[in-house]
Amino acid sequence: MTRLDRRTFLAATGAGLATTLLTLPGCRSAVEQASAGPAGGPTHGGRIAAGILTDLVPANFFTNSSLGVTTVVGLAFESLIRYPNDTVEPTPRLATSWELAEDGLALTLELRRGVLFHNGREFTSADVESSIRAYADPRWNGQLRRTAAAITFFDTSEPYRVTLGFEHPLGNVFDLLDTVPVVDAGSLEQLATGEAFVGTGPFKVTSWEPGTAITFDRHEGYWVPERPYADGVDVRVITDATSLLSSLRSGQIQLANGLSYLDLDNLPSDAFEVLTAEGAEQQLYVGTDVTAGSLADVRLRRAIAYAVDRQRVVDEVLRGGGYPINLPWPRYSSAFDEARNERYARDVAAARALVAELGEIETIPYTYPVGNPLVEATAAIVQADLAEVGITVELDPIDQAQFTKRLIGAELEGIWTTFHSWAQYTPSTLTVSAYPFNAAKNASNYRSEEYAEHADAAWRIPDGAGPEAVEAYGEVSEDLLEALFLIELAVVLPRYGISRRLSGVDWTKRNEILLTDAYLGGG
Amino acid sequence: MTELLTRTGVDGTVVPAPAAVEPDRPEEAAAASRTRSRSWRALTRGRGLVGLVLLGLVVLAGLLAPVLSPWDPLQQVPGANLLRPGGDHLLGTDQVNRDVWSRTLHGIRADLVVLAVGVPLGALAGSLLALLGTLSGVVDVAVQRLFDLLLSFPTLVFAIALTAVIGPGTWTVVTVIAVLETPVFGRVLRSAVLTVTAQPYVEASVAMGAPRRWVLRRHVLPNARDPLAVQLALSLSLAVFVEGAMSFLGIGVRPPAPSLGSLISDGIGYAESNVAYVVAPLVVVVVVVLGLQLVAQALGRAARGVR
Amino acid sequence: MGRYLLRRLPSALLVLLASSVAIFGLLRLVPGDPATTLAGADAPPEAVAAIRAELGLDRPLGTQYVTWLGDVLTGDLGRSYLIGGQIADLVRSGLVNTLVLTAAALLLAVAGSLVTSLLWARVERGPLDSLLTSVNTLALALPTFVTGVALVLVLGIVLRVLPTGGTPPAGFARDPDIAVQYLLMPAVCLALPASAALTRFLTEALRTELAAPYVTTARAAGVRSSRLLVAHALPAALPTYLTVLGLQAGGLLGGAVLVEAIFSWPGLGQLAAQAIDRRDYPVVQVLLLLSVAVFVVVQLTTDVVHAWLDPRVRIGGLT
Repeated sequence: MTRLDRRTFLAATGAGLATTLLTLPGCRSAVEQASAGPAGGPTHGGRIAAGILTDLVPANFFTNSSLGVTTVVGLAFESLIRYPNDTVEPTPRLATSWELAEDGLALTLELRRGVLFHNGREFTSADVESSIRAYADPRWNGQLRRTAAAITFFDTSEPYRVTLGFEHPLGNVFDLLDTVPVVDAGSLEQLATGEAFVGTGPFKVTSWEPGTAITFDRHEGYWVPERPYADGVDVRVITDATSLLSSLRSGQIQLANGLSYLDLDNLPSDAFEVLTAEGAEQQLYVGTDVTAGSLADVRLRRAIAYAVDRQRVVDEVLRGGGYPINLPWPRYSSAFDEARNERYARDVAAARALVAELGEIETIPYTYPVGNPLVEATAAIVQADLAEVGITVELDPIDQAQFTKRLIGAELEGIWTTFHSWAQYTPSTLTVSAYPFNAAKNASNYRSEEYAEHADAAWRIPDGAGPEAVEAYGEVSEDLLEALFLIELAVVLPRYGISRRLSGVDWTKRNEILLTDAYLGGG
Repeated sequence: MTELLTRTGVDGTVVPAPAAVEPDRPEEAAAASRTRSRSWRALTRGRGLVGLVLLGLVVLAGLLAPVLSPWDPLQQVPGANLLRPGGDHLLGTDQVNRDVWSRTLHGIRADLVVLAVGVPLGALAGSLLALLGTLSGVVDVAVQRLFDLLLSFPTLVFAIALTAVIGPGTWTVVTVIAVLETPVFGRVLRSAVLTVTAQPYVEASVAMGAPRRWVLRRHVLPNARDPLAVQLALSLSLAVFVEGAMSFLGIGVRPPAPSLGSLISDGIGYAESNVAYVVAPLVVVVVVVLGLQLVAQALGRAARGVR
Repeated sequence: MGRYLLRRLPSALLVLLASSVAIFGLLRLVPGDPATTLAGADAPPEAVAAIRAELGLDRPLGTQYVTWLGDVLTGDLGRSYLIGGQIADLVRSGLVNTLVLTAAALLLAVAGSLVTSLLWARVERGPLDSLLTSVNTLALALPTFVTGVALVLVLGIVLRVLPTGGTPPAGFARDPDIAVQYLLMPAVCLALPASAALTRFLTEALRTELAAPYVTTARAAGVRSSRLLVAHALPAALPTYLTVLGLQAGGLLGGAVLVEAIFSWPGLGQLAAQAIDRRDYPVVQVLLLLSVAVFVVVQLTTDVVHAWLDPRVRIGGLT
């Protein structure tokens, strides 16, 4: 597409007001509109333009459930500690050091001095208490709420030190401290209504137009010297993947979050880079209702586990943006075990044999939320795989709101496909936080005393990474592989499309993009 | 009467209504046969013929889909991911390795079912309601307000809400189309009734004590046939639109079965890999809609006596 | 005239009230509710219950309806928990985008129909007439999602000359030349059927005028036909044209729903789709009621205009 062609085309559109405007001398193209940036290494200044597929929902602030929320939390907020992306070993953030009591029932954190909120107020221990208490409030519905609620005591008598007292030892308390964004205590109510987002992060929210844009300016009082590099970030909400792609390609945005794997695959590599967010794993799975008809027989669930072609899902749907799994754990997790993870490799003969044992199987409804091409394609593949071994399923796409309601209510009678998360943390976090795995009540209607005991035991081990804990995770893993109420398909890694003009982009384990060290170069 | 002037299209745009038909002379039998032959002539020459041929081709393609398809429309061919047209796959393959040519042909079938059931159902319901309205003034007002209510809901919002209630699927699309077409046909028929009953010869026959049913059969229905036929052709093309729009929003015919709308809405996302995936169903929709419009125009002209 | 309006008013109000009940009821029939949507898939039942209580969804339906209606009638549209912000603000910003799009489409439709009609009215037969007829037929009949997808495909994906969707990043006022490029595709898509309909009406009207005796006389007297067309036929055809135009304007607003979805244009249609998706009852209710109100007003206006033009309707009260 040369410039001449575009001119020719525009001239050819003929009569009308629009063309008159377009052919004015020095006309600019919206497709090629891009702000010029300086060349070379890290440079200060310039505004980064980003595009995201889904907008912010203030009421979901603590649930990292939409790209709008993760964008705001990543840019404008910080947590007490930070996990590097491929481990669960805490590193300092707003807390500089910490000490766990001998009995595992208290944690004392030293807080960083001189940290300012966007409104100029200094960060102190009281903000830690209010943020964790808010996170524990059911109305905010944070996924680690059970862990937050197990913190029953706060000592905030000193401004730069806080002591947290636990109901029982919490093996995953650092997961919580990595997750909870520290919010200015006075602005929590305005946070719920989307009127104010006051954190300590490198950028402050200056405006939010629902459905259109979120604007960030540099936080001048940021505690890390010389950071951030950029003067601000303009985030546009672009709800259509095709538009998001063309905005990135045309240089209107330098960063796109929410592109399809196929589109990312097709980006020309000389001008664009694809970042794979290792550490922010999600899991694509087939859930089963263990009380529904033939599914009550574990042999049918095992047949499904053998029948699905996980590698095809990874290759054709995820385009390599993930890997096949039998258990939720990502490769770097202390609970990951190579042999266990390959227990149900694709084996059509084994699946057919199990189906033959079962005799007559009724048609099973296969429910999934519409609107996500990954889920839709996966459902089509799983349906074909199951048909091959003699299991007939009927696709039942329903909208996200209904799907969520039926999932929570454990009313999905049959099998379903969606994503779950929280396996990228301390393994015990998964079984106490992710609803599909909840031992007390889950979407599969699966009950097992043994599983509940194993899950709880793992949670109560003070050192969530020690050998004792690893053994406990092994027992949970065996339970999951035996019961198969949830059949894992693949780890899904978020991917971002980035212009080569933008460098230094990072992310967190919750898929929050970090632009603290990002700068616009020549490219 | 505004309904003579315009009609609100399903997408909310206002398009011209089929022209009101001048009532025929009192000799109904002769008149009826004359309109019949006039309509027939209109469809066997000029734009009417072109329209019929276009429609015929698409209908034939849909009916013969099993014969013309080299692949099962649901079969996922190993390794054939998003192939471009050529080789074993005339129009390439889709994102889960299915043959686009076979799926397009079978998609036509899905649309034919929706059209053949939904529109006539709506036409029937609308006509019956409108005729019911001729019984008494109160009923007429009630029916009119019901039509207002149905017309006032934005089509797609209504479709989304109804789908959320009864779940997606072919029959949901059929129901949405039938409900949408009900007031449209109702108004067309009511206009025809009002125009005819205002004619002196009809007033006279009523005054002479002709039974209501007789008046309806001898005078009203023959004169309503033309505008209804024109409306039928227009409504069928609107139904193509509704099916497409619903599938576009992900609430149409249930997967994995293909429909033209779902092929377009899925295909646009993969246009860079296999452009035929979206172009093929687009072309079919254009042909169907064009054919229906030409037929409607030919019928409308014939009814107005324009050659 | 006032008396006629007075007679039509009660039934119009009745339609509004009936639809408010229908809207309220229908929404509650839709499976899935705002509390679960807000809570998300990981939520335990007690979190959902807490949110239900906070949203007031645990009260009896009748109470909820009356409270809502009372609030709306006193001008308080409430707050959206699921999208965020005051509903009045959401509706306002959506309305601005929808109105800009509709106005652009209307402008294109009027310009297109005037140019085409003036050309078309003079050629009653021949290849040009056939060509214009087919183009007009296609423009009138093609579903907007077909034109929309085709435009995106050709101009946005293959040629890459226009943005495939969204609103201009700097707004409409700051960079008008950029804004026009964002507007062009959705506006053309929306304008096409309206423009075709207007063209058809205007051409018919112009032809009728051109066939009138005074035109024949004028032509015999040597007045140039182009002058006749612009100076005499056009003004005479204008009143009908304006009536149809008014109706089209109302229709365009409704047609914007799908066009907004195709081009991810953040207008009222997108807002409605988003709100239904999340079961944001208050937002959906306000938007649906608004659309019914617009329809009722348009209907009433055209009926009144019609009654004004045709005394028989006024007296007989056929509508």
